Amino acid sequence: MCKGIFIKRIVGVVLLMHGVMTGYGQYAGYKPVDNLPVFRNQFAEESAKVMTIASDFTQEKMLVALTEKITSHGKFWYKRSNKVRIEYQRPFSYLMVINGDKLTVRDDQKQSQVNVKSNKLFQQINKIMINCVQGTIFESADFTSRAFENEKRYLLEMTPVSKTLKNFFQTIVLVVEKSDYTVVSIEMNEPGGDKTTITFDNKVLNGNVPEQLFNP
Amino acid sequence: MCRSNCLIHSILVLLILGCASDYKMVQPTQSAVDCVDKIIPLEFKTGWYDAGVDVMGKHLSGLVLIKNMPDSSIRVVFTNEAGVKFFDFEFRADNTFRVHQVIEQLNRKQVIATLQKDFALILGIPFRIHGIGPFTNGDELFFGATEKDETAYFITTKDCASLRRLEWRAGSKRMVSAQIEGSYPNPDLLTIEHHTFNMQLTLRRIPKE
Repeated sequence: MCKGIFIKRIVGVVLLMHGVMTGYGQYAGYKPVDNLPVFRNQFAEESAKVMTIASDFTQEKMLVALTEKITSHGKFWYKRSNKVRIEYQRPFSYLMVINGDKLTVRDDQKQSQVNVKSNKLFQQINKIMINCVQGTIFESADFTSRAFENEKRYLLEMTPVSKTLKNFFQTIVLVVEKSDYTVVSIEMNEPGGDKTTITFDNKVLNGNVPEQLFNP
Repeated sequence: MCRSNCLIHSILVLLILGCASDYKMVQPTQSAVDCVDKIIPLEFKTGWYDAGVDVMGKHLSGLVLIKNMPDSSIRVVFTNEAGVKFFDFEFRADNTFRVHQVIEQLNRKQVIATLQKDFALILGIPFRIHGIGPFTNGDELFFGATEKDETAYFITTKDCASLRRLEWRAGSKRMVSAQIEGSYPNPDLLTIEHHTFNMQLTLRRIPKE
């Protein structure tokens, strides 16, 4: 009898530990957001005030099993409601522009244009990017999400629902500034353990962002 | 007696020359042996490459990592610029090949076999086995290694000062060539061109920051 209770207690402790490890415990320094509906509304409301963003970014691609990392730098522009320009400048040059349904990419050799609507994967990636910037990612049916916070920042963990996205991402983790609800970083975790982190610096909100940036 | 020996010898020479297409076999002098030892492309250096692939009018770009692993295997990983992985191949020290990951769109037997052969050539995998040659053709020296029905060649300047290019040939037909700019095993630019269908792969080395 005593042995049974002991085992139950052990199992209870193990389950509790498991909950801590797989729950909010995995994000050091963060706790679950107290009032999720309020946060969601605030996030959407504050993000709606952002009409343009201009920012520098640093991208780190980590190949965990190969212990390799490549860091690239560039510029990011956003203009409401669906215009994004990502320009990699170092150590390689690459341009990606989303303007409505049009996706333009340009590398050293070629520029090509894709109608986002013609490709389901592009469509989803386009949606993720726009939703992240516009603060509407919580409304997306493509992900289940959890939210955490510390004194200065929110952390949103998004897990893909569709099989297509699950092939590419295990989770996408967004860190958001509490002061202005802008994205500090996006971490894309792949099923095999590799990850890509994009960190935004020198953000300018609601400044002048010329229209021609989105018509390369 | 001499006539029959000569005939056999001639047939053997013809066979060797036949395999090597229109190349002229040169005597394996000490300088040629030294050339092989000095320049054989076996040890590709770890590095990141800015990659572009053109296949049948379609263009794809991304980043390629070629990495020498501690167990003497070589990993080749192709991601797009934003970090999404297209494939992850392993060339093992025992000459076997493993696909760790490949996206659905590229997961076709023929696509993987083509990429495997292209990367095997630039990594010098075929030259791990005993080779044939040298042959001369114009101002170049050819060294080959036969694999199934094709032969991989590495081609140097006649004075063996530098490695010019790598090739896959089927008999006399050139199938694939890889032009090298900069010095192997740490080239600045590799241009791999298929001669039997419309495909070109370029790899430009990304300098370390």
